[in-house]
Amino acid sequence: MATIVINGKKHEAREGEIAFQVLKREGIDIPSLCYLEGLSPYGSCRLCMVEVKAGGRPGLTTSCNLTASEGLEIETETPQVVQVRKVLLELYLAEAPGSKKIQELAKKYGVATTRFTHIDTSAKGDRCVLCGLCVRVCGEILNVGAIHYAGRGTRTSINTPWYETSSVCIGCGACEYVCPADAIDIVDQDDERIMETWHKTTLKLKECAESMKRFATERVVDIVYAKNQELLKDLKDLSPDARRRKKAAQFIFKPKDK
Amino acid sequence: MKMMTLAHLQKIKTKGLKSFLPHKVRIAVGLGSCGIAAGAEGVYNVFHEEAKKNTLDMSITKTGCLGFCGEEPLVNVSRPRTPLVIYRQVTEDDARAIVSQIMGNKLYDKKVFCKIEEMENFIQPEGIKYGTGYADIPHFYEIPFYKKQKKIVLRESGLISPESIDEYIAVGGYANALKVITSMSPDEILKVVGDAGLRGRGGAGFPTATKWGIARKSKSDKKYIICNADEGDPGAYMNRNEMESDPHMLIEGMVIGAFAIGSDEGIIYVRTEYPLAIERLKIALEQARAYGLLGKNSSNGFNFDIHIVCGAGAFVCGEETALIASIEGESGRPRPRPPFPAVSGLNGKPTIINNVETWCNIPVIMAKGAEWFSATGTSGSKGTKVFSLVGKVSRVGLVEVPMGITLKEVIYEIGGGGIKGKKIKAVQTGGPSGGCIPASLFDLSVDYESLQKTGSIMGSGGMVVMDENTCMVDITKYFLSFTREESCGKCIPCRRGLEHMLGILEDISVGKGKMSQIDELKELASVVKSASLCGLGQTAPNPVLTTLRYFRDEYEAHIRDHKCPAGVCKELISYSIDAESCTGCHACVRVCPTGATSGEKKEVHTIDKKKCIKCSACYETCKFNAVKVD
Amino acid sequence: MGTTLDKIIEEYQGKPGEIISVLEKIQEVYGYLPQEVLKEVSEKLQVHLSQLFSLATFYSAFTLKPRGEHIVHVCLGTACHVRGAPKIVDELSRLLGIKPSDTTEDMKFTLETVRCIGCCSLAPVLKVDKDIYGYNTMDKMPKILANYKG
Repeated sequence: MATIVINGKKHEAREGEIAFQVLKREGIDIPSLCYLEGLSPYGSCRLCMVEVKAGGRPGLTTSCNLTASEGLEIETETPQVVQVRKVLLELYLAEAPGSKKIQELAKKYGVATTRFTHIDTSAKGDRCVLCGLCVRVCGEILNVGAIHYAGRGTRTSINTPWYETSSVCIGCGACEYVCPADAIDIVDQDDERIMETWHKTTLKLKECAESMKRFATERVVDIVYAKNQELLKDLKDLSPDARRRKKAAQFIFKPKDK
Repeated sequence: MKMMTLAHLQKIKTKGLKSFLPHKVRIAVGLGSCGIAAGAEGVYNVFHEEAKKNTLDMSITKTGCLGFCGEEPLVNVSRPRTPLVIYRQVTEDDARAIVSQIMGNKLYDKKVFCKIEEMENFIQPEGIKYGTGYADIPHFYEIPFYKKQKKIVLRESGLISPESIDEYIAVGGYANALKVITSMSPDEILKVVGDAGLRGRGGAGFPTATKWGIARKSKSDKKYIICNADEGDPGAYMNRNEMESDPHMLIEGMVIGAFAIGSDEGIIYVRTEYPLAIERLKIALEQARAYGLLGKNSSNGFNFDIHIVCGAGAFVCGEETALIASIEGESGRPRPRPPFPAVSGLNGKPTIINNVETWCNIPVIMAKGAEWFSATGTSGSKGTKVFSLVGKVSRVGLVEVPMGITLKEVIYEIGGGGIKGKKIKAVQTGGPSGGCIPASLFDLSVDYESLQKTGSIMGSGGMVVMDENTCMVDITKYFLSFTREESCGKCIPCRRGLEHMLGILEDISVGKGKMSQIDELKELASVVKSASLCGLGQTAPNPVLTTLRYFRDEYEAHIRDHKCPAGVCKELISYSIDAESCTGCHACVRVCPTGATSGEKKEVHTIDKKKCIKCSACYETCKFNAVKVD
Repeated sequence: MGTTLDKIIEEYQGKPGEIISVLEKIQEVYGYLPQEVLKEVSEKLQVHLSQLFSLATFYSAFTLKPRGEHIVHVCLGTACHVRGAPKIVDELSRLLGIKPSDTTEDMKFTLETVRCIGCCSLAPVLKVDKDIYGYNTMDKMPKILANYKG
């Protein structure tokens, strides 16, 4: 346990916590785009910046890789922090003019418009902010690696190799799930899941043997089922609803002792 | 392979001295990249041909760079008990003549540059003496280019063969690595490096011993040391030369450092654009291994080996964490610090990354001691620094000067001032992370703190001189387009902030700028500096901030008057021919690519502004200064 | 060619950190990074194809397109810039009829700009394949190109 000071007030930090985690836990407002619990700090979005007053290198720093050690004093709303945040959000508005989520985020901090023009110099579209979460989840957590950064600098985009449909994508939708800017489009149509953003990579959806509902892609089901074929056999053929009904039925019709 | 002993080293030293100071004529041809580009390979081949043709018993060898790159090809000739004579701008014909004179026991007297009677070799206690004589040939240190230099790191560059470990040992090499490993403790080594006051030569100037101390303290089963040879600053080539001319000096420095920190694996990360340096390093590493100076050593239990990893064309990989990512097989996208590499770096292990020149300073510090080393320089900046003095200056090349020398001395006394009588306006230090220092500040001392106060940085050593024909808006645009191109793109302030700043500079350079944009430029600069993830973004605004600080008048001329005072920005200049000066020689017509210049021979010529693409070919060609820039 | 690729793959089996060296060797052999070759590398060395594509498009040394017989590199380092390198680029562009990074239709020349070859004393510098040319001026360009047209 360590005591740190945030905006003049003392807060308790747990063992090994970083400042960002303390801020979130204590309900102190701090924006961020690229942080995800479970992934190591990435430092790409720069929005979680705070000003260190004592107990560390003084000045602005990102809170996602700042250890909450005893004696740390930080401020989240100094004029410099507010100023940097505002300009960053203006840059984000120009980077992703098509993203409502980004517009909402910017508005929350008083940034409704941007001085900067949208420069479309890459293949990434007008909603992606290049936070990198989709890449890291797909590559590091799921070990599928269907998408990755392509290019460098201003021509960076997140894409499939050679901008073609992916042969390894499993259609789990984790990329869409973690995206903070709603930049990824996935459409389920009839018996197909179309990863619109990944050049319309199309995967077959698995139909529930009982309800005919399409509940996941065949690939995802196969991967999960392969982990333990005996234990998980219901996962292979039944949708979550059907599984629940089956389980419930076991209780209702449990034979009584005569 | 048993580790080399001091006794064995002494034997090799004797052998090496026979090669370096033979009892016959020795001709050493400067075969660094600059020398080769100037035609030295042909010269080298001619020497071999002539020696063979006349069955002469001479030693003809490769050597590195003496630093005066503008005078390449440089060749040095030595004979027993006479001074070493250095020839400049040697052609193949000169080579034939040199040999012919040697055969007649004479000295070829054309293209003679200077002589060396005694080598100022700082490692070798006994010194290296060539001989006295040739009273009418100026001594090396009498030459203006060399007079104020102090060659410590470059002490043997251009004299020994970079492909001979024996010659390196002959001039004292590896003796200190062995001495240190067999008789000093890591803490003792750290104390010497600390007392010497060595600071990182890569740009940031962080105290070397402090960094090593952190890695030494970190408890880990594995520690790495890395040499950052990804010298990417355009205009800087000190490290290239250090590796091409004296690769063993780098290896010895790393051996000592590895012992001090407790590392068994060293990596030299070299940019792929330096093929000759890579080749010379590979040869040197093989030689060191063969002598048991690298590899598994049974005595003392000190195992250390070095391997090379090549870059693949990304300036950002000069940044520590990006370099580490690259070695790990990823794109060079920097990672947040903390954690710092000294604690958790390559593969999560404590890693020390130092610049080539930092490592190169280690053997001489261990040889001569901290007191000797710290006697050179200023209170905060000890030792010497190698700079690449290039650009609009008369004498171009690599110079090694003591910290504390003034910019004026470097640019005017060593560099010889401007070219073609042009007035020098500024000097750019620190590459794209640095800034432009105006001529009014040339009395400044060259040291870390003084340069930082101007808004620039020491950097890795690039020193680009600019004159009245350099437009500071254009130069700033140049640096921003470089950093924009090399930005990895991971964080938005650098990725887009620089791009928007560049957009403003482009507007200004074509006459579309507004005064309010200068404020916007400053605001963006401040955000990019404080919010960027890594050093590339954090320092990229420096050229903008320094030129705004010192050359605001040029910005205002572009914005308010739509003029480019230096005559560079195409949209704001036009070329015309001065009727009074024009002799009608027709030279401009011959070089004009669009037919914009025209006229009858011996009559005043004109330029059709509609056709003119402002390539400036006529301006550069006209011998009568008749082409004017408006 | 197949066995050369096999040899490269074999050499780097089990060394995931050295994947960049693999790409460098492949480009040495093929002149660029062909998609089919990278697909094989991905399979055999167990590296995500997206990672290979990411590396290939991040590092300037790599190219996904075949290049010309001769590569013309114009140095745009600071020293070369102040000594007129942009004009050299413009002139070569004009003479070859292509923009930097492009290749002539007859696949003879590729024009590239590079940031600092490290021969700043000879500014402005130009490199064609392994040959370095210094002190360049616009009028020297046709002669230099002629050396390689044969």
